[in-house]
Amino acid sequence: MARERISQADEWQTWAQRYDIEGGVRTFESGLTGKVFFGALFVGLLMMPGSIYLSYVSGQSGAAAAPWVAVILFTELARRSFTTARRQELYMLLSLTGAAVGSGMQYRSFIWYAYFVNTQQAISYEIADKIPAWVVPSGDSVAIATRSLLHPDWLLPVGIYLASKFLGTLRVVSGQYILFRLTADLERLPYPMAPITAQGATALAETTGKQETWRWQVFSIGSMAGLIWGFIYIGIPALTGVMMSQPIQILKIPWIDFTQSIEGFAPTGVFALRTDFGQMLFGFVLPFPVVMSEFVAAMLSQFVLNPHILYVNEILHQWEPGLDVRATSLFNGLDFWRSYDIGKTFSLGLVGMAASVPMLFKLRSTQKKAGQRGSLATPPNRGDFPLWLMGILWLIGMGGFVWLIHWMVPNFPLSFLLGFAFLYTPINSYITARTFGVLGRDLFEIPYLHEITFILSRYEEIDIWFAPLPDEDYGAGTQGWRVLELTGTTFTSNLAATLLIMPILIICGILVQHFIWQIAPIPSAQYPFVQMMWPINATNECLMKTSLRDGNSEIIQAIRGDYVAAGFTSSLAIYGLLWVLKCPSMWFYGIIGGIGADPGSMVARLLGAIIGRFYMIKRFGLKRWFMFNPVLAAGFACGVGLVGMGTVAVALVSKAVIVKPF
Amino acid sequence: MEKLASVIIIIGTAFWFVSVLFLGGRWQWQMFAALILTIGIFIAHFWEELSEGKNKNTPKDDN
Repeated sequence: MARERISQADEWQTWAQRYDIEGGVRTFESGLTGKVFFGALFVGLLMMPGSIYLSYVSGQSGAAAAPWVAVILFTELARRSFTTARRQELYMLLSLTGAAVGSGMQYRSFIWYAYFVNTQQAISYEIADKIPAWVVPSGDSVAIATRSLLHPDWLLPVGIYLASKFLGTLRVVSGQYILFRLTADLERLPYPMAPITAQGATALAETTGKQETWRWQVFSIGSMAGLIWGFIYIGIPALTGVMMSQPIQILKIPWIDFTQSIEGFAPTGVFALRTDFGQMLFGFVLPFPVVMSEFVAAMLSQFVLNPHILYVNEILHQWEPGLDVRATSLFNGLDFWRSYDIGKTFSLGLVGMAASVPMLFKLRSTQKKAGQRGSLATPPNRGDFPLWLMGILWLIGMGGFVWLIHWMVPNFPLSFLLGFAFLYTPINSYITARTFGVLGRDLFEIPYLHEITFILSRYEEIDIWFAPLPDEDYGAGTQGWRVLELTGTTFTSNLAATLLIMPILIICGILVQHFIWQIAPIPSAQYPFVQMMWPINATNECLMKTSLRDGNSEIIQAIRGDYVAAGFTSSLAIYGLLWVLKCPSMWFYGIIGGIGADPGSMVARLLGAIIGRFYMIKRFGLKRWFMFNPVLAAGFACGVGLVGMGTVAVALVSKAVIVKPF
Repeated sequence: MEKLASVIIIIGTAFWFVSVLFLGGRWQWQMFAALILTIGIFIAHFWEELSEGKNKNTPKDDN
């Protein structure tokens, strides 16, 4: 029997609808109250140290847990006080707490460059002494030797950061808002993924009502599972790290490397089993066809394509027996996969355009029938801003940013900065806003854009690699405005909350990052994830930043037109053949994600997807399972986060205690 | 249109294989194959979205 053809838009909308169980509301209230603001600040700042510490220990910040903890505390307090929490308040609480917890990470690049400037890689590639003073103090600075972010040597980097932050806020808020008005109000794009976030706040707002719903039970189950897993994976290494020089890891963080074990029958193949089985929760949530096709493509890449085609034909020629996953991946990347990935990413852009351009025509015809599109009129009491004002704010923010970059790298051609700022950024943002509005995800990205720009500009100084460029994308952020609309939260209250909490977080973030740096050098045995990853990241960064040196760099040599074309064309061929065979387009995104990737990193996700598909859906029914998913995942993240925070608190206290020798 | 798109995509794919296996994998030939595939994919999507007789069925909700 012939397979029925389903359009890509219909296919994706159907997936989005599985999560969309509530309609949007159209009455707007402020979500910003004193109790919400201080509650978010309290919980956020309490969890921020743990979040930073966890990111160095396990590679994950656990920041996702904090907002949910705040919301649970808030709802419990509301219940005990015989009052109710509004959906708007809870969404605001989620948003503010997330910002508070994440604020510590904004200074992570300072720690990274403080490490990078003294690495053997930076020295041997002759980068160390050329890193600008507005990025990091010199390698022999007292600030780095004493691991202090509060030293005067950091004044210039921090000052530049603060100026960028201020101008960035102007640009991002205004840019996102203008695009939201264009796509959501004028064009009425559906934003299919926005209701997922909105539903989270709705779910917990229900618990303060008279009837307790299933959501609370599911959240609790997830939390308990997260607590157990968090204790095994994060708690034990963190606690034993307090007492021992080498922490005990029941499961090795971040992976168990089988690459050398498989080299007998799959030379150049990699397989490193990622031990973070919390990824199973993502497997529950992600579409099954994506997870499955991704894993199959990765297996074929590492066990067939790499060893029996690319290695045999000497395309992968730098590999030698005995190399681990990191070295094998590096050499494979230089030999083939980096080039292939460039072409592959370009194909995603083209496929996105092929899908969205016809949609424009379709939406236009729909507009005529429905008569709802084409108006910029706003719903009453939404808290909108004048478009002209936002336009001026964006121009000020972007103009100031371009001036700042020009001051940092005065010899870099200004025309390129202006082109990025006022041509590329608006077009790129609009395309992304449209894809989020229709498909709920980004499909358009030009890879190696900076590198291409630097080649075209003929600018050879290394400082440009450390400067920000005004190539921005506000498209993804438009979804947040749609979530505000769905939860009935006024835009003005959201903006006011963001501006109120920002100065507090800027100060607290640097203080906490400073204290964590004081505990132990980063990287060191106390921070196993960064100890494992940062050396290889340093090599990659050196390769990247020297790629244009003398016009004869390793990375430029590694990028070969034939392989880029292979990545581009083969991806298009896969997409085309899937369409011809009437297969779901989801497979394409899975296959593209899996080609060349390490299947070991996907095992946990695959397990989650299989359990979800073949047990949970049968047990609970499809609709209920997709209702449970986000709440269960939130509970799990909360549980892991709580363990992380608890153990980190113990570790921080123990490190803060000075043991005297008498 | 659907058949036309399918034929173009199949020709593009076959030509890509030929370019890799028999024409030394030179990027020029591969990009020519990509051009054919791009045309086929655009025709496919235009047909899918714009044709009057397009399929109104929603995907089967079986995960």
